[in-house]
Amino acid sequence: MTGELASTASTAEVRAQRSLSATMFTNAWKTTEFRIGFFIFFGLIVLSIAGPSLLGVSPTKFSVAQKFMPPVGFGGDWSHILGTDQMGRDLFARSLIGLRNALIIGVTSVVGMFVVGSAIGMIAGYVGGWIELLLMRITDAQMAIPVIILAITILGLSRPTPVTIICVLILAGWPAYARTARSVMLSERRKEYVRAAKILGASNIRILLVHIAPNILPPIAFVAVLDVARMMIIEAILGFIGIGIQPPTPTFGTIIADGTKYLMNAWWITTVPGLLLTISLCGINLMGGALERARNKLLQGVS
Amino acid sequence: MIFALDFFLRRMAQGLVIIVLVAMLIFTLLRVVPGDPVRTMLGPMASAEVAEQTAQKMGLRDPIPVQFAKYVGQVVTGDFGRSFVRSAQGASTGGSRGGATFDASNRAPVMGLILTAVPYSLLLAGLALGISLLISLPIGIAAGLKSGKWPDRLALYLSSIFVSLPNIWLALVLIFLVSVKGGLLPAIGYQNWTYAILPAFVLAIELSPVFIRSASVAVSSNMLEPYVAAGQIRGLSRARMILVHVLRNAMIPLLNVLGIQAIGLLLGSLFVIEYAFNYPGVGLLMINAVFQRDFPVIQAIAILACTLLVLVNILVDFAATNIDRRLQY
Repeated sequence: MTGELASTASTAEVRAQRSLSATMFTNAWKTTEFRIGFFIFFGLIVLSIAGPSLLGVSPTKFSVAQKFMPPVGFGGDWSHILGTDQMGRDLFARSLIGLRNALIIGVTSVVGMFVVGSAIGMIAGYVGGWIELLLMRITDAQMAIPVIILAITILGLSRPTPVTIICVLILAGWPAYARTARSVMLSERRKEYVRAAKILGASNIRILLVHIAPNILPPIAFVAVLDVARMMIIEAILGFIGIGIQPPTPTFGTIIADGTKYLMNAWWITTVPGLLLTISLCGINLMGGALERARNKLLQGVS
Repeated sequence: MIFALDFFLRRMAQGLVIIVLVAMLIFTLLRVVPGDPVRTMLGPMASAEVAEQTAQKMGLRDPIPVQFAKYVGQVVTGDFGRSFVRSAQGASTGGSRGGATFDASNRAPVMGLILTAVPYSLLLAGLALGISLLISLPIGIAAGLKSGKWPDRLALYLSSIFVSLPNIWLALVLIFLVSVKGGLLPAIGYQNWTYAILPAFVLAIELSPVFIRSASVAVSSNMLEPYVAAGQIRGLSRARMILVHVLRNAMIPLLNVLGIQAIGLLLGSLFVIEYAFNYPGVGLLMINAVFQRDFPVIQAIAILACTLLVLVNILVDFAATNIDRRLQY
């Protein structure tokens, strides 16, 4: 009975909040840059999933006879639309696999840091006291280490695998989410519906997960879209230095690094993956930026 | 005065706790990671007994807390130890000399290595900040003054593009177009200050979106303040109002951004860009040290970088609270 009351109270809140998130989304959707970003992003996702098999060429098959073939329009032919690298591997297929890997690593790590960071921030803000102090000091310490320095140190000294790369990115990225979640939590825990749920006897875990989380997390998730782009750049940097996903799996960073040796006579080896990465980052950033601005506008208007 | 003293003591104490935590984290990390540094020092030819002896002589087999305590004791006196790999003459020895002759005292002191690299990094960072402000302030201010009109859109699209350019790729494209094809600027290594221009430009492009955005937000929000209209009613021209009052007030949030976001971003990207351009700064030193498993160099640079970040944060917060007393710590 009591639980029912509490949940009706919170569904009303949740419904209000859902519509708030929905409003943010529709506001963002109305902007041109969001639509451009959205279509670029989804086009690239489809391309990275279906592309390599549609092209009908293997991204890892060597062919010495066909090495250093330029793209179509620069003296190449249609068997390799965007040319081949120093071992005769198709660059377009390789870049698409690279895009797939970058997207997987970017999205997984951002989801990870969002979950870990928000959980820690929410607990700190909700519980308060020395636990909050301890958690926030750890957050500060973690924030004082630049991402790149942390990643280079850990990955350069251990064996980089996709799992360790994602773990390192999560380790580097969670504090920002913890800070945001905590600061929102500080104002949220004093609200009526939280007190109502408490009085009605809901457990702390239930209050956190069922009542508060659906209210405060969606606006934070909106901003997380921008982090996917940042993580994809870092993934490329790691590959470039040689501490990302190891060959023969193609990644943006490793293809670009390969191309540096042949910059003089085969400029397309670095250009193709670089351009593809830039275009996808543009898509994500346009989308994320529009979401962020829509959120800021609405939050400022409400408060 | 008392306020300032209180502020600094409090924040310095907090900062010290953070730095010690970071140092512990890095120190432990370096010792649980697989791979024995003694092998890199002595090379593959040394026998297992010699390797074990050297490791014990250098204290590498002590428990981690003991090693850390010793290390902190050294660092407090300003001594960051000696490089595992580089000799005092500057060459990297890499274990080619055979095990029996290894002697820790002919290795380069870490502090010396860092001090030779710092000026190069400072030159690069300073140049990057300068170029970045030169690019982004006009765009940002124009966008703030004409909020919602075409300069605002231009600034938005420009920063979206800048933020989407992967710095390593931009570096390569510029090396190829400006240096290799155009022959306008030198790019790889360092001989004189012109070698810093191209890498600084790459860093500047990366920093610009942050500045453009904060400048435009600061200016546009100041333009909405009542004092702008009031000044104009009292007979000050719009140009004077903007140049003298709005811009000065808008600099405060910019200073904040400069400190926290820009220095943090710069510190990370500096490492990558120095590597891409083979530019002999602290970043290249660090990345080479990681590949060579040169633990003393890695931990010293990591700790110093964090210290710098913490100090900058304290200074920025101090500047902000001094300007606006409503902000407390």
